[in-house]
Amino acid sequence: MSTLLEVSGVSVTFDGFRAINNLSFQIGEAEMRAVIGPNGAGKTTFMDIVTGKTRPDEGRVIWGEKSISLLGMNEARIAQEGIGRKFQKPTVFEEQTVQENLLMALKKPRGWFSVLTYRPSDADLAKVDALAGEIGLRDQLTRTSGELSHGQKQWLEIGMLLAQEPRLLLVDEPAAGMTPAEREHTTDILVEAAKTRAVVVVEHDMEFVRRLNCKVTVLHEGAVLAEGSLDHVTSDQNVIDVYLER
Amino acid sequence: MQRSFIAKNPSVLIFLSILALFTLLVTVMSEGFGVGGISTSFIKTLGKTLCLCLIALALDLIWGYTGILSLGHFAFFGLGGYMIGMWLMYERTRLIVVDSLTSTEIPPTDGEVIDAIGNQIFGVVGSSEFPLIWAFADSLSIQLILVLLVPGVLALIFGWLAFRSRVTGVYLSILTQAMTLALALYLFQNDSGLRGNNGLSGLQNLPGVTASQDHVSLWFFWASAAALGAGYVLCAWLVSGKFGSVIRGIRDNEARARFLGYSVETYKLVIFTLTACIAAVAGALYYPQAGIINPAEIAPIASIYLAVWVAIGGRGRLYGAVIGAAFVSLLSTWFTGGQAPDINLGFYTIKWVDWWLVLLGLSFVLVTLFAPKGIGGLFDIVVERRAAKEANQ
Amino acid sequence: MRQLFLAGLAFLAACLISPGLGQAQDALIQPILQEHQALIVKSSRKTIGPAINAVASSGLPQAQTVLEVWAAKNMWQRKSDGLFFIGEKIDSKIYTLTDFDSGELLGEFLKSDLKQLKPNSGIRALIGTALVQFQLSDPDIEARRAALLSIERDPEASLLAPLRASIEGETDAALKAQKQRLERLLTIGYDEDEAARLAAISDMSGDLGVDVRATLNPLLTTKRDVVVGAAPEGANIAALLRPGQGEFDRLAAYDMLVAKDLAPARISKDDIRTQLAAHIDGARVGGVPVAQLNTDANRLAAYNALAEAGTVPAFVSDTAIEAALAAHTFFDVYLEPSKAVTDAATEALKDIKLKVGLNQMLDLTLDAVSLASIYFLAAIGLAITFGVMGVINMAHGEFIMMGAYTGFVVQQIIPDHTVSIIVAIPTAFAVTFAAGVAMERLVIRWLQARPLETLLATFGISIALQQLAKNIFGTQARPLTAPGWLDGAWVMNDVVSISYIRIAIFILALIFFAAFLYIMKRTRLGLETRAVTQNPRMAASMGINPDRVNMLTFGLGSGIAGIAGVAIGLFAKVTSELGSDYIVQSFMTVVVGGVGNIWGTLAGATMIGFLQKGIEWMNPSNTLAAQTYMIIFIIIFIQFRPRGIIALKGRAAGD
Repeated sequence: MSTLLEVSGVSVTFDGFRAINNLSFQIGEAEMRAVIGPNGAGKTTFMDIVTGKTRPDEGRVIWGEKSISLLGMNEARIAQEGIGRKFQKPTVFEEQTVQENLLMALKKPRGWFSVLTYRPSDADLAKVDALAGEIGLRDQLTRTSGELSHGQKQWLEIGMLLAQEPRLLLVDEPAAGMTPAEREHTTDILVEAAKTRAVVVVEHDMEFVRRLNCKVTVLHEGAVLAEGSLDHVTSDQNVIDVYLER
Repeated sequence: MQRSFIAKNPSVLIFLSILALFTLLVTVMSEGFGVGGISTSFIKTLGKTLCLCLIALALDLIWGYTGILSLGHFAFFGLGGYMIGMWLMYERTRLIVVDSLTSTEIPPTDGEVIDAIGNQIFGVVGSSEFPLIWAFADSLSIQLILVLLVPGVLALIFGWLAFRSRVTGVYLSILTQAMTLALALYLFQNDSGLRGNNGLSGLQNLPGVTASQDHVSLWFFWASAAALGAGYVLCAWLVSGKFGSVIRGIRDNEARARFLGYSVETYKLVIFTLTACIAAVAGALYYPQAGIINPAEIAPIASIYLAVWVAIGGRGRLYGAVIGAAFVSLLSTWFTGGQAPDINLGFYTIKWVDWWLVLLGLSFVLVTLFAPKGIGGLFDIVVERRAAKEANQ
Repeated sequence: MRQLFLAGLAFLAACLISPGLGQAQDALIQPILQEHQALIVKSSRKTIGPAINAVASSGLPQAQTVLEVWAAKNMWQRKSDGLFFIGEKIDSKIYTLTDFDSGELLGEFLKSDLKQLKPNSGIRALIGTALVQFQLSDPDIEARRAALLSIERDPEASLLAPLRASIEGETDAALKAQKQRLERLLTIGYDEDEAARLAAISDMSGDLGVDVRATLNPLLTTKRDVVVGAAPEGANIAALLRPGQGEFDRLAAYDMLVAKDLAPARISKDDIRTQLAAHIDGARVGGVPVAQLNTDANRLAAYNALAEAGTVPAFVSDTAIEAALAAHTFFDVYLEPSKAVTDAATEALKDIKLKVGLNQMLDLTLDAVSLASIYFLAAIGLAITFGVMGVINMAHGEFIMMGAYTGFVVQQIIPDHTVSIIVAIPTAFAVTFAAGVAMERLVIRWLQARPLETLLATFGISIALQQLAKNIFGTQARPLTAPGWLDGAWVMNDVVSISYIRIAIFILALIFFAAFLYIMKRTRLGLETRAVTQNPRMAASMGINPDRVNMLTFGLGSGIAGIAGVAIGLFAKVTSELGSDYIVQSFMTVVVGGVGNIWGTLAGATMIGFLQKGIEWMNPSNTLAAQTYMIIFIIIFIQFRPRGIIALKGRAAGD
């Protein structure tokens, strides 16, 4: 399995506080990975670094088979390279319809001029329709997304990420605030997505992680503490110490 | 299948029809071509108002749709005016100078003509040399290009600097205000090359045209109406498609747009520059009707009034901006022009010349507090009522 | 009358102090006058010298009176015996006479028996100079001071000797130093002896006084001259000039030649035109059709044709001009003939210039500090509300204005300036605090989390308040007078000075800075404010009422703006536009400094103050341009530090 993303020796400091400390992380194509860790372990900062929001003080972030460095690229450029990111809070364009949201996310040239002259083709509309079906929002296409429920917004955001057709999906606490039924649906969507691309899920909820049934990376104080199957890491003495300490 | 742009946006058609009707009505009522119910000076006021509506459209595009409150668009408006004003003033002075010089015994040389023009134009600031920026003032076509180019390039440079460093929100507003102030202060200097605080004057006279102001004012009125119509269609087209989706997306959630792969900075820059150009066109049409342009026109306060109009009209909808600009600026003219009747309370007489700004300021607060959608929001209520009625039936 | 009394008093004092003078009292001045009777009566500027000298150098105390009376045209000669007396008019025909020596009133005389001496202005000037030595040694210190001042204002070569003579006997130390200084300056300017002048120049070099520069600069006055061939030997030449180089224009050089009749006059384009117009022959001039005279080349051809015919003077071509310039030497020559003196003066001025430069730097720094404290005062309230609540208060400038007007109103009620200022400061704080709280409760609270709309709403308030002020107080500027003890300036030397008002504002800014730090770090309100700033929801859950904190913060910020208004009103005119003059700079201060940090505001104010003064110094004639460049600089500065000089970093800064 070839490596899609390789983060090595990355450190970042905020006002003297080391949020990420010599972190190394790898993920292959079509792999599902869960990242867990206590608060302040650096999970979100890790995502910030990969997506270009935060510049690390040192280290490398290498992407794809051509091994290009993601450092120095802006967020939009990295997103165009094929990394999608879902925020903790659902962030969709609330004033626009579900369809408009998905159309905007659809993988198409992002330049302003192409966008200006773009008119959706029937194929594009069909694709949007299919995606909406996948995330269970087919009936809501013409609704303003601000009117959707919390869970529906989460799905819409995931749907938008899928519409981007990214090679790596970074998902921050997708199940937060969802009903058990909604969680199940979310798991299905993610597992389905991981068949064709890499998916990194940051999550607190162990039950949810267990259901994802994938390799787990435990972060602590900005570094990798343990890595392996969920059973493996939960039996690791270091991990137990860290979680019990709190 | 795709529906045509106009069919999807009936409001555009409605707007264009109303504008056409209004233009026709004004023409019929004018002194120049019609029965003379409307004075020429009022035609000019109406023409200027149309230009203000156009710049309000530009502000609505950048503020209402993209979420960037620019307090600097009057700088671009003014620059557009200056660019066309340079040609108008140069050409008119040249005609006068040539006329006076040919009456002498010896025909003038080119150098003498240029010196005399320079003296006429810059004598008031104690100079007779043509500054470099007047290099193309003798060419209408180049000056017309500069109407777009100068404000456009300024917007491009400023926008590039500002957006690149991710200045947003109120910070950006303050920065655009600072830009306007810097430009105004620069133009106030006598050696700015644009006659300092004297500004450019006599712009209402079209060089070489002998037609009376009754006619000229109507030509400009028509041009303004055409520009407003074209601007409206352009803006409506911009905001209706995916481009519109993206800029509204940037307004509502910049980070999401960025992580979807849209270069937010580029989009902002495009919109900023484009609206600067629209503002410049509006300015280039406005000042020949006003007759004079000076740096005070560019002062930050003007741009803020513009924001007031758009807010009162209802931002985020194009007709709102137009209604706001037309309504408030005409009302302003009426109140501050001294036509409005004073109210005698017995112990105190309310003079509208004095109290209009107080009223405007307070009504602005009230609109922001209680009617954030502005006058345009009223239409929503009407539309919703009708929809509800239909649903009931 | 008063003068007479003073003179009498002085006389008395002189008798008491100086026994030598007392003895001289016995001697009479009338004989000296009689000795020079012919000269005095002749009254000619050319010959009067010995007579004045004789009186002045007589050493008699009466001499001063004689000279004063003489200069005032009150000296009369009795025709019968030729003696001189003080004459006083009784009526048109009758005068009384007083003896110079005894001071005795001799009675009334007919005007026809007397002859009035009417010295002309030239003689009066000579008498005045002679009088200086008496005034310089006058027992009354005020008189000496006045005499010294008049010499300073109007120095003359002849005053040098009396001034020198008076230094020895000067009793007042300060006045003596002043006399010595003036003596040095007069020596530089007027001493016959070159060595003495050089010594004086070296004494005064490095002195910062304006008077020193005013003395040295005339020594270096030059005159521009031109001669055929080489420069004259022996002249004290400042510089040789080459036409076309530096400031020395070729045409100006040629015009110098013309003025000295060394070359024929240039024929300008206007001359050509006039001549051509004067010689139109039919439809042609010099064979060229008039219609073709619309290019310079054709006009020149026509002119040359006229010149050949001899009707007009020949055109001076460029080559001719060049040749004429090459054949002459242009130079600047010092009016002062001594090269040693001009060299020394140049050197001394160079020293002084360096020193003045350094001192100007210091002065500029003081100016910048005072400007920075004004910006700090104006911006601190804004920074508080912006930092704590994320609210841009566009009406902040109007709160400053409100404070200034409060000061004005208080001054109308309490006429004593000191008391009124003391009352005005808390009153202004109270008024603007109340206005701020009202605005927060009525408007801003309802717009939270919508910063752009807050900006606009506060702007609406700003428009309304400004117009309201105009309606109430009118458009003319209202004075807010500083108390007397704030008048004047602290003068360190002729270059460095700073007005007391500015020092007071600086101190006020320091007080505010300290008070703010204290409130934020040591009080309950500060703690709550910081908590609300960092995490309003958490703070609320811990029992802090964020609404109350916001309200108080806003009131505090507005109150400080009010006090700043009183301070600004003391040196600026109080108008309804007072606030808007400062608002942009205040915003810049906050933006440049960084939000949410008082140190940032301090740094921002300092930077903007220094920057503005620095740019003004580089281009002093143009304060408008200075502001333009400053704003451009700030826009570029934002590129490198988008969050200001002192920025919060990391996740806390948020997005």
